Amino acid sequence: MPAPLFYLLAFITLGFGLLVVLARNPVASALSLVMCFSGLAALFVTLDAYLIGTIQVLVYAGAVMVLFLFIIMLLDIKEEEKKGQRLTAVVGGMILAAVLTLQLTSMAGSFPLAKTKLDDKPLDISAASTAAKDKNHPLHSMQMIRKDLDAGKLPDTALMGQTLFDQYPLHLQMMGLLLLVGTVGVVVLSRRDTAKEESKGA
Amino acid sequence: MSAHNIEIALAVAAVALLGLDAFVPTLKRDIIPKLSIGLVGLALLAMFFAKGDTPAYLASYYRIDSIAMFYKVFALVATLAALIIAREADPVIAHFTGTEGPSTRIAEFYILPLIVCVGLMWMASAQDLISVFVPLELVTVTFYVLVAFARRSAVSLEAGVKYLILGALSTGILVYGIAWIYGATGSMTFAGIAKAVGAASTSKSALIVGAALLLAGLGFKVAAAPFHVWVPDVYQGAPTPVTAFLSVGSKAGAFIVLTRAVQALTATGSQISGEVQTTLLWSGVITILFGSLAAITQTQIKRLLGYSSISHAGFILLALAAGDSARFGISSEGVVAFYLATYLPMTMLGFLLLAVLRSQGVAEELSQLQGLSKRSPGMAFALAVAFASLAGLPLTAGFIGKMLVFLAAVDKGWYGAVGLAVVGAAAGFYYYFRPILAAYSAGKPEDTALRWSLPAKATAAVLVLAIVTLGVYPKALQSALKQNIVLTSAGK
Repeated sequence: MPAPLFYLLAFITLGFGLLVVLARNPVASALSLVMCFSGLAALFVTLDAYLIGTIQVLVYAGAVMVLFLFIIMLLDIKEEEKKGQRLTAVVGGMILAAVLTLQLTSMAGSFPLAKTKLDDKPLDISAASTAAKDKNHPLHSMQMIRKDLDAGKLPDTALMGQTLFDQYPLHLQMMGLLLLVGTVGVVVLSRRDTAKEESKGA
Repeated sequence: MSAHNIEIALAVAAVALLGLDAFVPTLKRDIIPKLSIGLVGLALLAMFFAKGDTPAYLASYYRIDSIAMFYKVFALVATLAALIIAREADPVIAHFTGTEGPSTRIAEFYILPLIVCVGLMWMASAQDLISVFVPLELVTVTFYVLVAFARRSAVSLEAGVKYLILGALSTGILVYGIAWIYGATGSMTFAGIAKAVGAASTSKSALIVGAALLLAGLGFKVAAAPFHVWVPDVYQGAPTPVTAFLSVGSKAGAFIVLTRAVQALTATGSQISGEVQTTLLWSGVITILFGSLAAITQTQIKRLLGYSSISHAGFILLALAAGDSARFGISSEGVVAFYLATYLPMTMLGFLLLAVLRSQGVAEELSQLQGLSKRSPGMAFALAVAFASLAGLPLTAGFIGKMLVFLAAVDKGWYGAVGLAVVGAAAGFYYYFRPILAAYSAGKPEDTALRWSLPAKATAAVLVLAIVTLGVYPKALQSALKQNIVLTSAGK
């Protein structure tokens, strides 16, 4: 990835991230968050992680942000604009951010992976393609993935799907149960009072 | 039938019950609660005949060993007790959900615990961090709904919101920790992590960050200081059966995960075993002290039990920190499991009594307990047993649990920590005996006799029996927990 592109995208991500906190208008904050997510998605794409980049846009910039905006507009939040920032909140947030930054930077020095540049370790697709020719390799029977690998393309979506459905099938079922619980929870907590309805009818 | 089939069957049964509730509008009000209790009882019965073989397609992330079997049975027992308490609290829940009429139902309140139980049972066998995370979320999200279930009560809603926000935060921290550990060790499985923590090529600082975040995330779930602030409010606000289930089931689920994670992180030759041990030790001591000292001034019994739950979490953390003790022949995972096994009957008994009292108009205040011994001698006796055991009175289960923790810590030579823990335990004697004193003091002349239903009476009798049996003859359970055996198809 060319360095100027990285710096541009990082600048967009961080700049809008800062705006999320600084903007007084909640809608402006939320829209800045959309831009921040988009910048992050673009960074993922430049790292060859196309699927994660797409999901970042679809799920976070799309679904989650729409939900945020919905709630902001439904509740018609205006008070935030008038209220000043509390000093303790600002100082506390700054200290937390400083600690996290310090931690990450100190880590970057000692973490062996942090010392290798991405350009030094390019994605070796041909090696993966040869490895998949082995009969015992988990990808051996995956025709689509192997065709892409042989053609020198990265089948990241198919690989992700293969991992998800092949290695973690039970987890996927459990997530279904989790979503069901979420739905039931919404129905239960927002149900209208049946007792009141009955007395109204009578 | 293998053990993993039981939890899958329970999940299917829960979904079927939800469907039954949705599609059969003429169903009687108490059918689903009865079915739900029956199903959990059946699953519990099936557990004792279950085989321990893990099919090959699950083997990479799922293992059935004796500790996993213990926690699976534990989850089922906790669910059964919580459902029985829920039946006792039914009128109160109905009042706060606007479903008092005979044609109305609150079926979800009895079905969602089954789903929690499935999550807890799976967590007991999970062998990698993804398999830990998915059921942990299943349990937590279900609890978000259950805590806020009494939606006409402002305190229940407030508790729900508090639990949701702090739970989401702790999930974020946990996932961040998992990411760091994966980055540092290149592995998601506990076995892989245990191998990598000792390797020279693994970055120690990255491991420390990952382990710290992981411990913090799980610390939220077990209510360890300094991540305990949500406990008193949520415990007080949630419906009593949910509080009981939360304090026993959710805590046990988080502790089995914590046990396995700590075992992996402090595996032989680990670079960070000293750091992890120190963190657990001091977190445990602070948790005990905070839970015990803050409980002294409480007058609301559910809140009191909330602080009690914090201080008990501290004792278990201390046991985790101390590790195995060859001198006394106790293993760390065995002490944790045993402590939880003693914690279950006493806490459940306390909450059962609260639910029974509440349904008869006795609020959860200390002063309301006055004269209980006259109004119902049986209840007063059960209350005395439960709180005496929570305090750790000799001849009750609570005493043996605390003693094992002290033994493990003494073996490590942590006399300072043991001293502070004893201070916490001594404070416990003060605040746990206040409800007992209140129950046996003279009441008002206009007090009427209290009655309790047969299921509640029977459950209380079983729990009292369990507390006394574990206190007098703990060997039976201890020998079962001494070694962690990987079960095979021949086992059980």
